[in-house]
Parts: sequence; C-alpha cells; structure tokens
Amino acid sequence: MTKFIPYFLYLWLIAMHQVFLADVTSIFGAKINLAVLIVLLVSMYKSEIISVWFGLCVGIIGYAGITELSPWIALVMAVLGLTAYHIKEKLNLDSLLARVSLIFGGTLVLNIILLVLEVNDGFLISMAKYALPGAIYTTIIGTIFFLIKDNVFTFDKTKSIF
Amino acid sequence: MNKISNLFTKHFRNFHFISIIIIIVVLFVGGKFVNPYINQTVSFVFYSPFAKMKNAFLEMRSIAADNARLSKALIDLSMKIEFYEESALENERLRSILGFEPPPNYALIPAKVISISGEFTPISATINKGSNDSIWVDQPVINQQGLIGRISSVAPDFSVVQLLTDPSNRVAARVVASREMGIIKYNTNSGMYLDNFPIQGDIAVNDLVISSGLGGVYPAGLKVGTVTEVVKKDLEPFYKVKILPASDFYSLEELFILRETGE
Repeated sequence: MTKFIPYFLYLWLIAMHQVFLADVTSIFGAKINLAVLIVLLVSMYKSEIISVWFGLCVGIIGYAGITELSPWIALVMAVLGLTAYHIKEKLNLDSLLARVSLIFGGTLVLNIILLVLEVNDGFLISMAKYALPGAIYTTIIGTIFFLIKDNVFTFDKTKSIF
Repeated sequence: MNKISNLFTKHFRNFHFISIIIIIVVLFVGGKFVNPYINQTVSFVFYSPFAKMKNAFLEMRSIAADNARLSKALIDLSMKIEFYEESALENERLRSILGFEPPPNYALIPAKVISISGEFTPISATINKGSNDSIWVDQPVINQQGLIGRISSVAPDFSVVQLLTDPSNRVAARVVASREMGIIKYNTNSGMYLDNFPIQGDIAVNDLVISSGLGGVYPAGLKVGTVTEVVKKDLEPFYKVKILPASDFYSLEELFILRETGE
C-alpha cells in the first residue's frame, strides 16, 4: 500500500497547483500543465502499467470539474501515459534533448486535444495563444526539473556564480 | 486456486488494460450517474483542503485590506471629529462674544491671535489686524472676559499687543467697592498685583478691580481682575494686593481692539 503514497502525493500536488498556483504562475494566459508533466515524468521512470493507471487517475482527478469531458480526458491521459512509455522505450533517455522533446511533444499534443474537445471557434487563435505557449512553458519547467535531477543545477553551483 | 493465480500472472498486463478499458467504458456509458459521485469524492479528497486554504488566505487578505481601509477611515473621522469639536468650541466663544458691548464712545475691531510670545508667561500677542484696519499704537485691547493689554507696535497687516502679563506694562486701576486706586503690575514670580494701594483704603478678597481711566491709554471701567489676597507688611504704607486676572492669557484666541469713535 505504501508504494501508492507517492502517486497520491503527485495527485495532491496537481490539485494544489490547480487551486493555488495555476493562475499565479500563468504568463499572458499560458499555464503550466503540471498534470501532463507529471504523467510524462512517471511514464519515463516507471513501468507501463503504472504509467497507464496514473494517466487514467490524473485524467479523472486532474480534470474533475469538466463533467462532460471527464471520460474523454481520462481516456486521453491514459493513452498519453501509454504512448509516452513506449516512446521512451525507443529513446535514449540519457539525452536531455530527447526527454525535453518528449515533454514538449506530449504537452502540445494534449493541449491540442483539449482544445479540440473544448473549443468550438477560433481553434488556431486559441492554439497560438494558449496551447503552444503552455507547452513551451511546461517544457521549460520540465527542463529545469531534469537539470536539477541530473545535478547540472545544484545549490553549490548556483552559489558559486554569485 | 493455483490455476487462477497462474492465469493472473500470465495475463497480468492484459488484466490491467481490461480493467482500465472497463473503467473508461463505465465513465462513457454511465457518465451521468457515475461522474457526479466521482467529482464529489475527488473534490472532497483532493481539492477541498486546498480550496479551503485558498479561501482562508483570500479572506485574510481581504481582512488585511479592510483593516487598512478602516484604519484610514478612522484617522479621517478622528480628524473630522477634532475639527467639529474645535468648531463647536469656537461657536460657543463667538456666541458669548455676540452679546459683548464696548464701552461708550468706543467701537470694537475684532481680531484673531496669530501667535503669542513669552518665555515663561505670555507677554505679547500678534494679531491679524494692522494699520490697514485703522489700528494704531496704544489702542486698548480687550476680550469678552476683560482687559488684555494695548497695541505696542503696528504693521500694515498685523500688530503686536503688549499683554497685562508683560512686567513692563502698567494699568491705572480702581477697586470697584471702595473706589480706591492703585497700579496694576505683573511679576513673573508672584503674578498680577495691585501696587500703591494705600493702607487706609478699604479692600477685601473678591473685590472687583477695573481700569480707572487715568493715564489716557485705557478707558475707565474695563474689568482687570479680582482680589485674591491682601497682605499688609509692617512699616510699609501700601498693601500688597494679589489679583486674579479676569482673562486667561494662556488661551487667547479672539480679541477686540477698542477704537475711539469720537462721538
């Protein structure tokens, strides 16, 4: 049972981000899609089954407010988890560029799918205004995460700059 | 049992995928019935704690903003109350002045005190009327309580009043009851006193002292003060008479200059 605790914490992190931080951290309407970022990160480092289950859970929990689209989003997130896992299997994950590309691609695809599901008019405008900047913003956060994880950014190194 | 266990192990991946597909199908097919419960549970477990925290935080911010706004309003209102209280006091003073009559052959020129000078006691006051308002040196200055002093210097827009509390000022005075006369002087240590009052004269505590009109500066009959103490020293031909001034020289605000009308 304890092995589920980290995933619950991830889900709480996503909920907290949506309640507290999503609006505060948005830049010109572009928001960090933390739910997708965490699903992709879990897919990169965990098994196939966990990736799909976690994607499904994030789809249900992360987008709980959108009642009509809930099943679609749950499906999309589960498929995203599965797809990201299989893409990762074919990628060299030592390469930062590969991981960043996976994050960017995954976020952009999900943002576009969400736009298709939610937006009726002005699809291209919405894509240029929200989906693409959102994907770039999320990718930047993902890149920072990887740099910290790979010890490229450390506290000592940052301190030595100053 | 073993067979089931083996079957589960063999088709572990498929079992999970089938479960996920079933859940998604249930979400699609029974969405209308299932989704509200799922949303309710998810909201309660994951969102509600953070939403409560956010609301509490926003409420605190709003309380802080309200507090700042109310503090400012309180300061504004306090200042307004002070202003109104001051206006009420001024109103009261002006009402008492309304029934104030000048001595015969004199007209009253009202003036406001701009500043008061004096190290220990006020000895001179600057008023907002000058030669442009027909004020000149040696005109007597009074208020509704009694004699205040005389004009000692004049500028076009303001003048200086030498108060009775200036030790160099002298006023010829008379005790109302006995009609005996003396000279009002002021000493920083002992206060106002009636000098040169003969021991043959009749004087008692609470006797009213007014200006006698001698000397040509102050008209007769202006209230100067009341007797508070009469001291007789051996071998001296005069009483030492302490006087309580009629006017409070520490709170002068509105004054009147007496101008002769020549009638």
